[in-house]
Amino acid sequence: MELNICHLYPDLLNVYGDLGNILILKYRAEKRGIKVNIINSSINDKLDIDNIDILFFGGGQDFEQSIVSSDLNTTKKEDLIKYIENEKVLIAICGGYQLLGKYYTAPNGEKIDGLGVLDIYTEGGDTRFIGDTIIYNEDFDETYVGFENHSGRTYTNGLKPLGKCIYGYGNNGEDKYEGCIYKNTYCTYFHSLLSKNPELADRFLTIALSNKYREEISLENIDDTIEYKAKEVMIKRLSK
Amino acid sequence: MVKKINIKALISILASKITIFLTKTLLKGGTTFPGKVALKIDKNILSKVSKGYKIILVTGTNGKTTTTNMIYNIIKTSGKKVITNNTGANLFPGIVTTFIDNYKFFSKKKDYYAVIEVDEANVKYITACLSPEIITVTNLFRDQLDRYGEVYTTLSKILEGIELSPDTTLVLNGDESLLGKLDVKNNTVYYGFNTKINENNIIDINADAKFCKFCKTPYKYNHITYNHLGDFYCPNCGFKRADLKYAINKIYDLSPDSSSVRLNDLDVTISQSGTYNIYNALCAYSIAKELNINDEYIKKSLENQSSSFGRQETINIENKEVRIILVKNPAGYNQALDTLCLNKASFDAAFLLNDNYADGTDISWIWDVDFEKLKNLNMDAILISGIRAYDMAVRLKIAGLKTDNFIIEETFEKLTERLKTSPNNKIYVLATYTAMINYRKYLHSQGYIKNLW
Repeated sequence: MELNICHLYPDLLNVYGDLGNILILKYRAEKRGIKVNIINSSINDKLDIDNIDILFFGGGQDFEQSIVSSDLNTTKKEDLIKYIENEKVLIAICGGYQLLGKYYTAPNGEKIDGLGVLDIYTEGGDTRFIGDTIIYNEDFDETYVGFENHSGRTYTNGLKPLGKCIYGYGNNGEDKYEGCIYKNTYCTYFHSLLSKNPELADRFLTIALSNKYREEISLENIDDTIEYKAKEVMIKRLSK
Repeated sequence: MVKKINIKALISILASKITIFLTKTLLKGGTTFPGKVALKIDKNILSKVSKGYKIILVTGTNGKTTTTNMIYNIIKTSGKKVITNNTGANLFPGIVTTFIDNYKFFSKKKDYYAVIEVDEANVKYITACLSPEIITVTNLFRDQLDRYGEVYTTLSKILEGIELSPDTTLVLNGDESLLGKLDVKNNTVYYGFNTKINENNIIDINADAKFCKFCKTPYKYNHITYNHLGDFYCPNCGFKRADLKYAINKIYDLSPDSSSVRLNDLDVTISQSGTYNIYNALCAYSIAKELNINDEYIKKSLENQSSSFGRQETINIENKEVRIILVKNPAGYNQALDTLCLNKASFDAAFLLNDNYADGTDISWIWDVDFEKLKNLNMDAILISGIRAYDMAVRLKIAGLKTDNFIIEETFEKLTERLKTSPNNKIYVLATYTAMINYRKYLHSQGYIKNLW
């Protein structure tokens, strides 16, 4: 089997170790004998959505994000919408998450149009939500640990969350939800999304492979002792 | 004759000096508190106690401490009087402490120098009180985004400080595109590499500041030294590296222990290895030249520069050569790993990751460090420790290092036992800020380090 993972604007949206999520997906797929190709798609590149199985959309600094938002609208918007509606796997973090919504308010107060694929919006806040986060996903019965750092407050209009906050602020500090899920688009504010959540990484791989090969795929287990220990240490520490 | 000084300042200095004495003797360290005491009594105290000094401010994200130390040593070697805050107490109160500690009521200062390391966001508090002779900015890398945000935010904080001091000469890293063509009134000189140090002229996809700060077009490079530093130009608007007044003109040899280079027309073997230390030495050289110090003092000083405080500091632990390298952001960590890669013989390494405020509370940045380059090195033991040891272990595992060689130890005591019985005699310890500070304290308590500060 083979998987094509596409990193959107890897040269512009690359803060907070976003690249790590791709390295982890690649590692876990290759451990199961699946060949992985990484495709970089940046300014002026068309999105070849038929040849993408997992699309990764990270966050950037304001200067870089301003370069992204104009390119996104001119060269990638239509394909990206098609990709999402076709139930393919998209992982959007922080800035990427905000850009999928109707609009977001930049730190300088400017209201910036998003792609409007999701019925969500993000308002600016006076304080930043910074810190370690624990969330629980009821449907999957899984607990995820990560780190959030955002001033935007995102309102998701009843979309399924990635999880309920056990610790930390989440989308907006009010409704106690973190991230959102639409079809196979997973949005979150988590940095280091997959480093301590190998079960979520495998979920993405499984959906992408099942989509691609049109059959139920189940992945064999691999040794995740260190990953789960890293998660356990944080849960213990934050629960004190 | 007693200098003219008012009662408030006098009390402020005395109170602070007493506090310095107490913290030094009782707490064995503690460098910011006395300054806070002084400022509480007289908030203008810095302008008074710094009178008579020619001041050199060193700021930038990486290399401040080593560069400060190098400049200090050169000035000292040249026979001039000089003070410094070389223990890394680089916030406003810590700097006040340094001046008060060196304050003498009955002396007149002539040709006295102060080489002061200052945190990027604190430059403006210093320049509000005094006008430095020189301000130097080493570089701007992505650093602890949970505190300052972006490289552009860091730059604007430094610029706020520079604006308050238009008569100061700026000595800037010309290879740092973010520092090119600044909108300031100051006399500005640049240093950089006129010769390439590797064959690379394609910027890494994950480097910082890759897009022209004026027109947002990707820069092109004649050569890259590391991360985004190098001889850059914008193919669209024509913005390019400034003319260099001071430059590396030749590279003779790069080893794990030193670098032999030509600074303008002076051949020097810098006693600390790594490309980043060539930059630090070049910066120190540039400042020394601006201060009209003779080449012989510069050469002698850079060739005998001993490492400072956890910056490639070598410690002997029961005949093991333990080398501590502070790592605090992706650019610095990658440079440290490049130094490891210079080793041809086998060695062991310890990776200490903490997530206290001074380390950055978000440890995601380790995913921007290219640990993959360690995959093919001869490392027999991979020791892992620190508050976030398991996160570090995940990172190293994904990088392709052999998990069979992983030894995860939560306490310094056990870690040190492991070091003593490690397969190789040379062991690198790469530690984030508080991990480095705390481990040094532990080694001090065990008698392996003589001077804690």
